[in-house]
Amino acid sequence: MLLEVKNIDAGYGFLQVLRDVSLHIDQGEYVCLVGPNGAGKSTILKVIAGMLKPTSGEIRFQGEPIDGLPGNRVTRKGISYVSESMNLFTNMSVEENLFMGAYTIKDKKIQQDRLDFVYGLFPRMAERRRQLAGTLSGGERKMLAIGRGLMPNPKLLLVDEPSFGLAPQLTENVFASLDTLKEGGLTILLVEQNVTKTLAVTDRGYVLENGKIELQGKSSELAGNPHVRKVFLGV
Amino acid sequence: MVKSFSKALSGWIKTAGGLTIFLSIILAIVITLDRGPYVLVNVVVTGGMLALVAMVLAMILGVMNVAQFAHGEYFMIGSLTAYYIFTPLSGYLDQHPGAALAFWAPLIAILGGFIVGGIAGAITERMVFRPLRKRSRENWVMNTFLLTVGISVILVNGHQLLFGPDFKGIVKYWSGAPYSIMDVFISRDRTYVFFLAIMVVLLFWLFMAHTRTGRAIRAVSQDETGALMVGINYDGIMMLTMAIGCALAAIAGSSLLFMFPSYPTVGLEPLYMAWIIVILVGLGNIMGAFVGGFIVALLKVATVEYVGAGWDFVIPVGIIIIVLIFKPSGIFGTAVRGVLDK
Repeated sequence: MLLEVKNIDAGYGFLQVLRDVSLHIDQGEYVCLVGPNGAGKSTILKVIAGMLKPTSGEIRFQGEPIDGLPGNRVTRKGISYVSESMNLFTNMSVEENLFMGAYTIKDKKIQQDRLDFVYGLFPRMAERRRQLAGTLSGGERKMLAIGRGLMPNPKLLLVDEPSFGLAPQLTENVFASLDTLKEGGLTILLVEQNVTKTLAVTDRGYVLENGKIELQGKSSELAGNPHVRKVFLGV
Repeated sequence: MVKSFSKALSGWIKTAGGLTIFLSIILAIVITLDRGPYVLVNVVVTGGMLALVAMVLAMILGVMNVAQFAHGEYFMIGSLTAYYIFTPLSGYLDQHPGAALAFWAPLIAILGGFIVGGIAGAITERMVFRPLRKRSRENWVMNTFLLTVGISVILVNGHQLLFGPDFKGIVKYWSGAPYSIMDVFISRDRTYVFFLAIMVVLLFWLFMAHTRTGRAIRAVSQDETGALMVGINYDGIMMLTMAIGCALAAIAGSSLLFMFPSYPTVGLEPLYMAWIIVILVGLGNIMGAFVGGFIVALLKVATVEYVGAGWDFVIPVGIIIIVLIFKPSGIFGTAVRGVLDK
């Protein structure tokens, strides 16, 4: 198992958000975490990525415990986190942002190879390489955020709401890129509100409601599940 | 080609920043022609010091989100260290005139101030700001501001307690005839310190713009979470920023020991001037603070020349107040996101 999350409780101050959350991901899987607004999906990603300390529970990555490690150490273990608000360096150019993504890589040749890879995946980024990140459109920022997360060649990619606020065509593009990455062997954990699309492309899914995992299973089965259809699709 | 250049220039002048720089250059030329080149020398030397102290204050504000009101005390630490290094050395030099040490002793004193200032900054970060960061980020700006006021009290009174309230000055750093250019005599001290200041600022810029660590510092100032996400060691960067900031404030103090003797509250004026400059140009804008240092120095020198030495604080600050009424985000605009929101 690449990632094991066991019995995680977490929250913000006095507000407990996650209750006894457990999930796991194997190498090469494309897993999604869906749920209504406020369920705690972003929170679980933040806990895995080291941005938030859990109050109890354990997280193991490649067998090693990583719960409680700060975000920069988690990145160095091979987990890249693409947040919902993207956290781009707005006063730096696209290319500078991407190079910052490769901060943990010392070898200049590898950095350049990764840059070429990201530009190959997102040609739009190559076109705008000198543009300031703060001036990019919403879809371009998402691409840049994902691109930056890919620079250190992570073993696991955590993506929070990649299609949020994007027009349908751009959403297609982003999902297509994630598919390409999956084909290339990257393990991806996706958090999304767009349930239909997400369950269509992923292997497995977890349904999070009110901070608890209510359902889990193969995405194709979840898509047909009556509870899922009722809660998310109003059917 | 000339047309497009002049078009770009007239566009630039219409911005607040461009207009200010343009007017400052005109003012500098006017008073130099009227009173003589020594005015320009004063502006450049004072401006260099103000620019240095203001730049690092802007950096600390932008990177650490700390409103550092003890900044002047690191200037004081620099000048105090330089005094206690230089005085015994100059005693030795009095008995052995012409020794090679005569050139190096001031540099040793100045560098000593730099190092001690850096250590003091690192200690401050480790003992004051890091524990607070671990504990709670709520009300960060207000809390750290209050803490820096406390640090200031401790450092000022520490100086007085351990070293006494007297003025600890030196006659001069380097001996020898003053240099003269264009009928102006500039002392050796001012000349050497001026070149030293240029070198320091240049190295600082190279560091911030072209090294991996410098880029990491800039990244942290733009997006903390993003910096963590790319693997930057946040605590380490905080420590480095504080150490560099305090070291540079200290080197301003140590290199200007020949102009400003060391005493407990010597840091007050550099502190006020640095803050005024940082507010004038826009919070957190390091490049702006550099330029602002010279602009404010120009205002000060012009005031002293035409109005009187006693007004050298009142009129520049008055002008700045008026500027801020019309452009509260500062003449070069703020580079800091949400300082007051955190």
